[in-house]
Amino acid sequence: MGNSINKNRSFRWFIYILPALAIYTLFMAFPILNSIKLSFFTESGSEGSSFVGFNNYIKLFTHPETSARYWSAFRNTWVFFAVHMLVQNILGIIFANFLSNKLLKGSGFYRTIIFLPATLSILVTGYIWKLILNPQWGAVNLFLKSIGLGKFAIAWLGDPNIALIIISLVSSWQWVGMPTMMFLAGLNNIPDDLYEAAEIAGATDFQVFWNIKLPLLKPVIGIIAILTFVNNFNAFDVVFSMANVNGAPMFSTDILGTFFYRVGIAGQHPVGIPDRGLGAAVATITFILLSIGVAYIMRITKSDKGEV
Amino acid sequence: MKKSLCLLIVLLLAFTNLTANGNKEAGASDAANQSVELIMGSWRTDDAEQMKAVLGEFTKKYPNIKVKFQPTIPAEYNSTLRLQLEGGIGPDVMYARSFATGIQLFNDGYFADVSNVLGYNENYSDSNKSPWMTKDGVPFAIPFAAVSHGIYYNKEIFKELGLTKPKNWDDFLSYCQKIKDAGYIPLANGLADEWDITEVVFMNIAPNFIGGMEGRLAYDSGKKKFNGPEVVKLFEAMASLKPYLPSGYEAISYNDSNALFATGQAAMYFDGSWTIGTFADVDFEWGILPPPAPAGSKSEYITFHADAGMAMNTSTKHPNEVKTLLSWFGSSDGAAALAKYLPTGFFPMSENSVVIQDSHANEFLNLNKGRGTDVRWAWPELLAGEPSGYTLMQEGSIGVITGYLTPQEAADQFRAGLAEWYTPAK
Repeated sequence: MGNSINKNRSFRWFIYILPALAIYTLFMAFPILNSIKLSFFTESGSEGSSFVGFNNYIKLFTHPETSARYWSAFRNTWVFFAVHMLVQNILGIIFANFLSNKLLKGSGFYRTIIFLPATLSILVTGYIWKLILNPQWGAVNLFLKSIGLGKFAIAWLGDPNIALIIISLVSSWQWVGMPTMMFLAGLNNIPDDLYEAAEIAGATDFQVFWNIKLPLLKPVIGIIAILTFVNNFNAFDVVFSMANVNGAPMFSTDILGTFFYRVGIAGQHPVGIPDRGLGAAVATITFILLSIGVAYIMRITKSDKGEV
Repeated sequence: MKKSLCLLIVLLLAFTNLTANGNKEAGASDAANQSVELIMGSWRTDDAEQMKAVLGEFTKKYPNIKVKFQPTIPAEYNSTLRLQLEGGIGPDVMYARSFATGIQLFNDGYFADVSNVLGYNENYSDSNKSPWMTKDGVPFAIPFAAVSHGIYYNKEIFKELGLTKPKNWDDFLSYCQKIKDAGYIPLANGLADEWDITEVVFMNIAPNFIGGMEGRLAYDSGKKKFNGPEVVKLFEAMASLKPYLPSGYEAISYNDSNALFATGQAAMYFDGSWTIGTFADVDFEWGILPPPAPAGSKSEYITFHADAGMAMNTSTKHPNEVKTLLSWFGSSDGAAALAKYLPTGFFPMSENSVVIQDSHANEFLNLNKGRGTDVRWAWPELLAGEPSGYTLMQEGSIGVITGYLTPQEAADQFRAGLAEWYTPAK
């Protein structure tokens, strides 16, 4: 009898994960598998969908127009990701370092300011930044003109060489609060006796940062790198709100998200008939890429002791 | 608590049941006049009020047929409509794109043949019917609304500088220079949204350069080359606009352009008739100029584009009611309601169209007098493959204005792109 109770108990954990498992299966695993399946089919109106094997993938990489657009979007997404890693995350770690200083007055105020943009919709901030950067009446160019630097008052979002960088910077500005908060939490977890020991040993502030804080933040850096990677490769809205779905000017801000939207969801203006199979192929490749990338980042940033 | 909730639910159920029964009885007592509600699909989210008024007029005449206007945002209309039709939940009656996009839905079996709609043959001219006909001449939608294109101009700036109406393209450029010298922005257009430079500038001036419909057909029959001298000249004309666009034109969006013209900072603005309403309240006088033709042209053309047709779902449960509605749109009653309520700048296409009141809308219509008209160049044949003629015109126009392409390169690229799928371009 006692035995059977034990047996019941040992399976009871399953009941607790059941709701999460059901939701995960229904809303995450099933759509992903379904979209992988879709990438092997074509849909053409009343004939319904038919199995086409790897044709969608072959078209994606061999059709000259499509593959040129795909690779340009692919490249741009890496640029987009690099700016986030360099600007958003490094600023995040610097901000967190300042905010964790117990002598800093008004750190709550700064924390709020830094985090505030992340609470707004990117459609709103993107639009506001578009206005600020407007070549005719935007604040940036009016300011530059008023201090006599009129020749630098350019069309920020109209130059194919810089538009993507500008959009990445706006997105970094928007989300910098996230890594800041996570790094701050990570820094607060570092035991004080380490700092005391460093102080006794006569370490400079930089040495403390480089030899104590940074190594202990490694797992947090890993998580943030993963989040940035996943978010950037799925990004769409910031380009949508600041440029357009074609990645204007001249596809220079076209990232995987906007390319996928054009191919798989909305279709190319003005015909607007999407190719869902091809779109699913794009999504599947992004999914595989993300899985590999996430596994890799986890590997290289794993804490030596295996814990935070 | 639980009990009262139960009671509430029971009461609610009983009530709905009662009213449902009540409806049934009312219907049964008047079985011949069973009331029907049709759903109308559209991409004109801006026109919900106006269409409600039009459809209200219809229901006044046919009290048993109510029509519910259910628009989707323009950019997603085609894909949403297709999803709805594939899923069997499409609207009974819906706006139809002209040419290839519409034909495709007919071929896939979603649009019904409308040739037996009462009055279809008498109420529409052949040229108005053709944008919604298959290659074999089967009509899949009735013509509903057309839009026109031209150049908006600020009459006060023109008066101040002593300008009237440019005789040809070179004259037009000299106007631009005079306006620029006077400190105004000659043209309000920009590149940021991309579609506008293509649809309201390139395709606006194109018929004058390629010789209207006859010219267009010569390209489609393979008589003229898509990178021929006229096309190069057209791209040269696009490139010549560059110095007269607003500073930072690369990042000026369609809304910015509207604002530049509406605030009197820009003297001229290439745009379509649908914007008339936007400038209703500006505090200066404005008018419409026809797009200038190159010097020495024998005839001039206007891009008068067949924009919206009205199609019937093949699987609608109420085919007769839908046909009644479609035939009413073409009748004198229906055309009058459309002329009255359709937003200014959308022109009803029935032969019964009554006089349009708005003076600016009439200015647009008057441009058609003495000039040939044609639809936007890309629409009839060049949208059916990839890269589409539309995309190529867009890339070419932006390329020559920003200086990334020469007009010759843009024309060559136009032809090479089309040649990938379009036989006459090979």
